[in-house]
Amino acid sequence: MAGRTRTTKKLAQRIDLNYFKKLRGIPRWRRILSAVFTLAGLAWLGWHALAGSPKPYNAGPVARSHALFGEKCSACHVSQARFQHTATDQACLACHDGPIHHAEQTFTPSCASCHVEHKGVLRLAATSDEACTQCHASLNENDKNTPPKFASNIRGFDRSHPELTALRNGAKDPGTIKFNHQVHLDPKKPIRGPNGPVQLQCSDCHRSYGLSGLWPFALNAGSAATELPSLPARAYMQPVNYEKHCAACHPLDFDRRFKEPAPHKEPKVVYDFVVQKLASYIAAHPAEIPLVDEPDKRLPTRPPQRPARNAQEWVEQRLADAQLLLWRKSCKECHTPAYPQGYDALPEIPKAAVPARWMQHASFDHDAHQLVACTACHTKTLNSKETSDVLIPSIQTCRDCHHSAANAAEARCFECHSYHDWSKEKPPAGKFTIRQLTE
Amino acid sequence: MSDVHLTIDGTAVTVPAGTTIFDAARMNGIAIPTLCHQQNETPVGVCRVCVVDAGGRVLSAACVRPAEEKMVVSTNSEKVVRARRTLVELLMADHPSPCARQRQSNDCELETLARLEGITQARFPRRLSPRGQDNSSLVIAVDHEACILCDRCIRGCDEIRHNDVLGRRGKGFMAGIAFDYNLPMGNSSCVSCGECMVSCPTGALTNKSIVKTVLPGEPVDVDDLQQLAYFQKVSGTFLELNKNAVVRRHFKKGEIICREGEYGSTAFYILEGQAQVFLSTPLAHVQSKGGAAGFFSRLSSRLVGRQQERRQDEGSRATIPIDASVDLPYDNPIATLGPGDLFGEMTCMNLYPRSATVRAATDCVMLEMLRNVLDIIQRNKTLKAQLEANYRKRALDDHLRSVPMFASLTQDFIDVLRSKVELVRYTKGDVICRQGDIADAFYLVRLGFVRVSEPHPGGELVLAYLGRGSYFGEIGLLNGEGRRTATCTALDHVELVRIHAEEFHQMTEQFPDVRRSLEELAYERQTQNRQRLATATSTPLDQFLTQGLMEAQSLLVLDLERCTRCDACVRACADAHDGITRLVREGQRFDKYLVATSCRHCRDPLCMIGCPVGSIRRRNSLEVIIENWCIGCGLCAKNCPYGNINLHPFNVLEDDPANPGRQVAVVKQKATSCDLCTDHAEPSCVYACPHDAAHRVEPNEFFRWIGAPLETEARTHSR
Amino acid sequence: MRIDRTHRSWEVATLVLAVVSTVAYIAYAVRSPAGPRGGSALGLTFGIAGYAMMLYAGLLGARKKVPTWRIGRAQTWMRGHIWLGSLSLLLILFHGGFAFRGPLTAVLMILFFIVILSGWTGALIQHFVPSLMTTRVPMETIYEEIPHVRAQLCQEADKLVATVCGPIGSEEAAAEEFGGAVTTLVEIEQEDRARFRDIYLRKLRPYLSDPDSEHAELADLNRTSEVFDSLRRLLAAPVHPVLDDLENICEEEQQLSRQIRVYRWLHSWLLVHVPLSIALLVLGGLHAIMALRY
Repeated sequence: MAGRTRTTKKLAQRIDLNYFKKLRGIPRWRRILSAVFTLAGLAWLGWHALAGSPKPYNAGPVARSHALFGEKCSACHVSQARFQHTATDQACLACHDGPIHHAEQTFTPSCASCHVEHKGVLRLAATSDEACTQCHASLNENDKNTPPKFASNIRGFDRSHPELTALRNGAKDPGTIKFNHQVHLDPKKPIRGPNGPVQLQCSDCHRSYGLSGLWPFALNAGSAATELPSLPARAYMQPVNYEKHCAACHPLDFDRRFKEPAPHKEPKVVYDFVVQKLASYIAAHPAEIPLVDEPDKRLPTRPPQRPARNAQEWVEQRLADAQLLLWRKSCKECHTPAYPQGYDALPEIPKAAVPARWMQHASFDHDAHQLVACTACHTKTLNSKETSDVLIPSIQTCRDCHHSAANAAEARCFECHSYHDWSKEKPPAGKFTIRQLTE
Repeated sequence: MSDVHLTIDGTAVTVPAGTTIFDAARMNGIAIPTLCHQQNETPVGVCRVCVVDAGGRVLSAACVRPAEEKMVVSTNSEKVVRARRTLVELLMADHPSPCARQRQSNDCELETLARLEGITQARFPRRLSPRGQDNSSLVIAVDHEACILCDRCIRGCDEIRHNDVLGRRGKGFMAGIAFDYNLPMGNSSCVSCGECMVSCPTGALTNKSIVKTVLPGEPVDVDDLQQLAYFQKVSGTFLELNKNAVVRRHFKKGEIICREGEYGSTAFYILEGQAQVFLSTPLAHVQSKGGAAGFFSRLSSRLVGRQQERRQDEGSRATIPIDASVDLPYDNPIATLGPGDLFGEMTCMNLYPRSATVRAATDCVMLEMLRNVLDIIQRNKTLKAQLEANYRKRALDDHLRSVPMFASLTQDFIDVLRSKVELVRYTKGDVICRQGDIADAFYLVRLGFVRVSEPHPGGELVLAYLGRGSYFGEIGLLNGEGRRTATCTALDHVELVRIHAEEFHQMTEQFPDVRRSLEELAYERQTQNRQRLATATSTPLDQFLTQGLMEAQSLLVLDLERCTRCDACVRACADAHDGITRLVREGQRFDKYLVATSCRHCRDPLCMIGCPVGSIRRRNSLEVIIENWCIGCGLCAKNCPYGNINLHPFNVLEDDPANPGRQVAVVKQKATSCDLCTDHAEPSCVYACPHDAAHRVEPNEFFRWIGAPLETEARTHSR
Repeated sequence: MRIDRTHRSWEVATLVLAVVSTVAYIAYAVRSPAGPRGGSALGLTFGIAGYAMMLYAGLLGARKKVPTWRIGRAQTWMRGHIWLGSLSLLLILFHGGFAFRGPLTAVLMILFFIVILSGWTGALIQHFVPSLMTTRVPMETIYEEIPHVRAQLCQEADKLVATVCGPIGSEEAAAEEFGGAVTTLVEIEQEDRARFRDIYLRKLRPYLSDPDSEHAELADLNRTSEVFDSLRRLLAAPVHPVLDDLENICEEEQQLSRQIRVYRWLHSWLLVHVPLSIALLVLGGLHAIMALRY
């Protein structure tokens, strides 16, 4: 490095003092690219703005059922003030009805706060538990009734959710029919059927609606099972009915002369029927007026019968026997007749009062549970001897499958409960024309 | 007187009594060769070349021997001729042939004589010890080798010109001519009249031709020149020789005679007419737009005056010192010069740039001269007296008043002072006073630069550079000891106003305010000096020294391990200083730091030397700042060894000389340097660095911590 | 900016804010019926806070344009930029509920991630590359002035060579114009002079006038010393000082090429970070307006 020296002055004097005022190289490109990217973004948005479409601001795909008009933002995002285009409750109510839940609730959440759109869900009604627990977790604050009528601190389908009403506090089955499930279902002691011993299945008496097939123990053997009620098909069990489920094994025989059993109706009707039957018989067979019948083995002892003098007497004698058989034996097997006007009058049979639906505030679909054996949930049935036993399963049984886990059954509130009181539903009145939807 | 009759070479002559043989021969057409005899001088008879045979035992020197009655003189007998030849040969043996005169004008008398005598080669060896040359004078070159000790110069200086500068010194072969007490000719009291040079027969004293080029202008007749008072005592031959170094210039009213900032080498003397002296560079700082604002506008510069933008670093100077007998008042920097005024001395003598613009207010006639002629004038006693009188009359008042503490002096006192002060001059390197000397005077600097320094291990420590308008010497007078506390040296041609101790003490007694201010100033200066001495005592590292970091009081260092080379510091500096950056992100490295090119506020501020208008000054012993009357000559930028001062151009509209009445944009310049952003808490560059990489540090303290974690240190040590 | 002990207070503050926000978010996300949404009260808070931090980070560029305004030291702004900018990542993720949702918000999220990642990359670069530049380029100069400096180096080389073989290149033309320049020539043989001139014009000058060209054999340091060693063997001793100086010039050229490369490493990330951040801020603002509208 013979002659070359580096001094501060020499180095500094190589530099043009205005070099930093012009942008060159990377800073220049930085500036250019800033403009380019920003303008590109604005151009994209501007393009859509000019086309009048707010598509870039779409927060996500709409629910499956709304897919038809999902791209037509103005279907729901209607202009309120000049600027505001929020989708309000009015937008939902234009097509749907959302009847109020309870008159006593302190605030009504908006549709969108529970039914969250723009998440591409399959089922918009599948709300999160928080939609419900926002009130029900502290119901005493959110209910105008004090104290609230329902449990106050429900946080989900966990221990905070109370037991089913029917099973709470030693509640009993209000049904008046005396029935012993254990005897009927005991596998070790088959019961006597019309054609020999039978082993009953649950479905011989309990079936949901909409199923085809014949009732095996019906009055007219094999009457069809189906009947469409107003309740959702296949969800609920059809009510137990004498003609369909009991008649075959528990016929209302009243006299050995008649095969036809008495109708399963009010005592007055049965009385009139028996009288009419006896009268018509003795009228057809007057020769048998003086004949004496052997006492029925099923009846309690009675004084021996005197031969009847006339038809009327004959009928009266046989009528007494029949009444004895019926009121004191057959009916009494299942019912508990009462004699408010004395034993000589006709008994009064209390109403059966078998609950058709056990859960008033929740729905249950047996069809959805067809994979489970009846006794897997209704565990107490096989051992139930008393009518008063409530045989619907406890909520714990539900929780065995329905709990919060990925491989468990749906345990969110909406699965059983409905927020909207559909009994107050108004008839639907959609607002769109086909043209509007398909343009 | 009675006549004398004698015979010379066989011819009878009659001459008045008392005539020398030489004159007698000359009157009768007989030429006797001489060397030491000059007609207008008293003959001394030292060379013996004029010896003649007058019948005596020995040969007689014709120039001193008076003719006697009945003398028989032979001027060319064999004996005489032999003697003469031998003498010439002896002289030629030591003569540096061809000597300067022979080369210049072919008329060295000795060599001419030798040629006539037919001497080509001396038989004798040359003397061994050289006698040397003396080039200190600006106008006359002294070559002692060629001196034949003929004494003509001494007689010319004494008898003809009565300057009494030359004399003899030494004995034997050490003998020679000397100026004053054997001073170099340029430092002596020689007035450069040129008489000695004209008298010298050989090339011992010859005319120095400084420039070969001729000054443009009307050449002045020697006679005309000699009409002027201060050329009267100058040898006509000398003036003739230097004819081209002085010219008469005629200027029309309105013509520009010289422009500020230009480099020149001449001085002007006004013969007739009036001239206006002013600063044409506006008294303002330059403002230049760049960066963001400059993105959309041209990079143009404009000026912002003091009224528009008061800056904290500006002083409140009342006058601007320039290179003339007056100073310019700040608020209206215009003055008038008239006949008898001399301006441009500093430019001519020291080659500094012109300090102001001079324009002819009326039609003018001036003399423009080069350094040699100015030197003659300056040494001329008459002119010196005249110039001093001028100065006393016109500028001394202002000068004294420009010293802030003398502002309260009464006019009477100033009048008294005016007559009592002494104007002294020094040349480059002269020591005006030494540390420890008895303090006997107070000095004002009228012209040139003075270095105030203290001896220090390793050399002198410069305490200050004082230019025109500054003053010194008060500390010695005011402190109890009465001795000088520092050494003051003249850096170039310096002229001082000396106020003697008596007047000084009288002043301080009569005006206690003045004394108080002086004492305050003295105290301040002493404190600063002590500080500087204290910081100068730490031991430097090698590289420290080689890069000159030792000199710095404040460095801008960039930590290169944090610096992302983003130029935020440079932009901030430009932003804070009207678009002109005073910092360049380039320089040498020290350890992991880049020592950026930005004013180091050196202890020895070399930049301050030579400013023609004194606009670069130091404030509070730290920052070096440039005032707004800078004329952009660029001397400070040239002087700064680190390139920390830059000149920034800007456009000014001026009258177009080619098209009168129209204006044309002319590019001017102003000098800028880092001023440490003292109107803020910290310098803008440090403030604006996003990566904490820029620091303003005191180098000794800062670099003592090399090796230690520097993040925290940098913050505690930065200014 | 290097992250060191002086950042301690910023780190702590950021951590505290992050923890507080996380706790708030978790509490909110678990409780809200609609799930975490940007439009709910807390979601908006997160959005506004996040956007404010993004704006502050973006304003660093503006701050650098007015470096002398006393609105806080540049280092404070830089620290804020780094820490608040990083925190804004968390807040915006909370604001969006960790989902991309629609087109505009998806674009914003992507831009945001790129900006944050490029910023972190840049911060990382700034811990290592400046030292790299310092150690590997001792003869560093100002990047923007490199072409200017290179031109001066070329001229210097020409002048050096002119002392051996007379005016070269631009000097040649100048010399012709002024009728012969006055240069003191090194004392060597005429044929050596011619040889040196030839070598210079063939090998060295092309490199000096265009050091970044593809085929410059002198671009490699090892190669250079080989070349110059062979030149020293070839040419007479009086020329060696000139050769030494030329070698030094070549070394400086190589260092400048290296400087260009390292400079690109140091600054290229900004080409991603800055433009996208500006686009992000503009589109983000539009998103805020439009989301409130709908």
